[in-house]
Amino acid sequence: MNKNENKRYERLSAKSKGQLIIESENVLQEMQQKFENTIPGMEYFYDVAKQYAGGQLKNPERKKYIATNCIQVPIELIYAANALPIRICSGAYSMSQAGAGLLPAKSCSLVNATLGTIYTNSFPLAQKPLTIITPTTCDQKKKLSEIPSGIDIPFYTLEMPPSKDSEEAQEYWYRSVKKLKGELERITGNRITRSKLKKAIIKVAQAQRAFRHFHQLRKEEAVIRGTDAILIANTFFYDNIDTWTSHLVSLNAELEMRKSRDHNGSESRYPRILLTGSPSIFPNLKLPIMIEKMGGSIVADEFCSSNRLLYDTVAVDEWNMYDMVPALSDRYLKACTCPCFTPNNDRERKILAYIKDFKVDGVVYQSFSGCQLYELESLRISAVLEKENVPMLYVETDYSPDDKGQLATRTEAFIESIKNNL
Amino acid sequence: MVFQILAFLLLIYGGYLSIHIGTSIPTFACPYNQECPGTCYLISVQHQAHNTWASLFGFRGKAFLISLLSFVLLFIVINKAWCGYVCPLGTIQDWITKLRNRMGISFSRYDDLSFKRLKAIKYVLLVLLLFIPLGMSNSIFGLPLFSHDLGAPFCQICPGRVITPLFIGDTSQLFIDFTNTTTMIMSSLGIIVLAMFLIGSFFKKRFFCFFCPMSALHYLFSRFSMLRLIKNGDNCTKCGNCYRVCDVGIKAIAEDIEHSYMVKDDCMMCFKCIEACPENDCLKVSFLTMPVFKSTEEGFFSRNLHLNSEMQKPSKTIIEDE
Ligand code: SF4
Ligand code: SF4
Ligand code: SF4
Repeated sequence: MNKNENKRYERLSAKSKGQLIIESENVLQEMQQKFENTIPGMEYFYDVAKQYAGGQLKNPERKKYIATNCIQVPIELIYAANALPIRICSGAYSMSQAGAGLLPAKSCSLVNATLGTIYTNSFPLAQKPLTIITPTTCDQKKKLSEIPSGIDIPFYTLEMPPSKDSEEAQEYWYRSVKKLKGELERITGNRITRSKLKKAIIKVAQAQRAFRHFHQLRKEEAVIRGTDAILIANTFFYDNIDTWTSHLVSLNAELEMRKSRDHNGSESRYPRILLTGSPSIFPNLKLPIMIEKMGGSIVADEFCSSNRLLYDTVAVDEWNMYDMVPALSDRYLKACTCPCFTPNNDRERKILAYIKDFKVDGVVYQSFSGCQLYELESLRISAVLEKENVPMLYVETDYSPDDKGQLATRTEAFIESIKNNL
Repeated sequence: MVFQILAFLLLIYGGYLSIHIGTSIPTFACPYNQECPGTCYLISVQHQAHNTWASLFGFRGKAFLISLLSFVLLFIVINKAWCGYVCPLGTIQDWITKLRNRMGISFSRYDDLSFKRLKAIKYVLLVLLLFIPLGMSNSIFGLPLFSHDLGAPFCQICPGRVITPLFIGDTSQLFIDFTNTTTMIMSSLGIIVLAMFLIGSFFKKRFFCFFCPMSALHYLFSRFSMLRLIKNGDNCTKCGNCYRVCDVGIKAIAEDIEHSYMVKDDCMMCFKCIEACPENDCLKVSFLTMPVFKSTEEGFFSRNLHLNSEMQKPSKTIIEDE
């Protein structure tokens, strides 16, 4: 970079960071104020989201950290290597603008924003990550590491199979994960021992257990707004895992109480909505906020960034490395419903199961413009839902606020039509 | 676990207590062990098959039918849980597995193709085991009668014949019988199978069970049993936990979401899969129609990861620091 370019870069970086803070605060305010009856236990999660936006996440032990680009990265290995996994898939409009210049015009907002974050150095922590792990889930993410942008942080491409059911695919993935383990040891300089990995698996299992409890609580009635639920899951990567877990446990306790309290009387019935498709990641909560403002109640979502994030478990038969690593790999592959896999009928099975368990009245399907995989799968999902007589609203959107008006009209009409049929 | 050990003690040492429990005990309650309280059904069936056709359909046939009936009755009640909880050979294999686990040595699994091919062996053994004794008294397809030294042919190669007496300190079965060629071949085969049993089950969990003719015989009656392993495919996420812990390596337990009766021919009804399933009500064992044990989310976390219900701290330290 020459001097001029350098200056321009500095300006872009500073501007994007500033906008990210404003944008995030607006969303948080909207979440906290536009709806009455906030749950006290949510304070913590709002707080973490704010720190994230300001690039001030806490890392008191000054641990090394690894940026992950997708939930397919086995974080247990990162914990076991004594480092922190921080997910950097971004939901920020400001960042998507910063990244858009570097990528082809039709790239999806999420990928633009993630590249923008890396490029403008807007990581949620003050230091830079040791490496950025990118699973080969979608073509655009996969290619991020090859975009000429002068980024000096090394990328690590975590190879994923295109299918998950075949023996070959599973074998491929085991080897990929095993290789990652070695790489992480090299990058962090810490050996991943049997007992460290076991501890990490249990630590994550504790979070999973709280998360599953939270998930169950939402089945019976809408004890919490779906937007809040999405935010809770989003913050998982932004604080010490034990702290996060303990806050979720106390929130669960609060929700248990609300459940029994609210149960007597007032049968005001809101249309129960299931959200699925391209993931809403803070601060891009445009669509969920819109749905709930229009009187819909998001009772569940099938997003990799929220409900799917911590659901699947690890079952180890023999607590030795040779069984722990494949067991860990299984958690990220076998039950995963990412559209990058073909065939992926598990996704429609899951959506149908959610519709039954969460008593869903209608499905909203979000596709980011340019996100081919979710666009493609929407065809199959909408056919399945039609057969089941469940109404579905297909929304193609991106991170820009421009389509808010049009979104409002469409979601309102959709929710009204469900209401009329309740 | 405890039950398994009790059953092992009973079937190996029961004779000391003058316990006698009949001749139709499924397997490997091996009478070659002098203190065994009963007789493996496989030895009875082989003896009974050693009859001429005429008598098989006459009086002897009745004896055959009666013992078959009592064998079947046992299975109607406990199904293949015999294998998971009672069979001494199964228990011995589990001990060998434990030893390997302690030593930190990895186990192996068959790939899908080998699994499919090898599983047929137990049926072949079952057929031979009935066919050879029959052939000692009847000419089958015009073949000459088989040598009488082939009596109870499966027992001659069954590892149970050599191993179970060892537990009462009897090494008399550990030899090669040089009487004639047939006995020599059969007894050497026996020793070879024993070696395979020991080595195989060290590297592969329940190695022998996969080839066990008893398992094949059980399976014929399994459908009619009162004890059933049931799956509700709607609740299954195909996470594969159940397959991961399955000692015989039955993939269908995770991948089959259509059928509800889940006792496959290799299954030994150990119910480890139920313990490892994190979905409420997805896998269960039921007796008649009453559920006895079900998979639950809570149960998954407490059993597999020792997380108890109130706190988020592990209730038991299962992490030994290195
Ligand atoms: S399969 Fe055969 S050896 Fe294995 S436990 Fe069952 S009866 Fe015993
Ligand atoms: S399927 Fe289940 S019960 Fe049968 S052998 Fe495997 S783990 Fe045991
Ligand atoms: S453990 Fe349960 S949910 Fe997972 S694959 Fe097996 S049966 Fe299905």
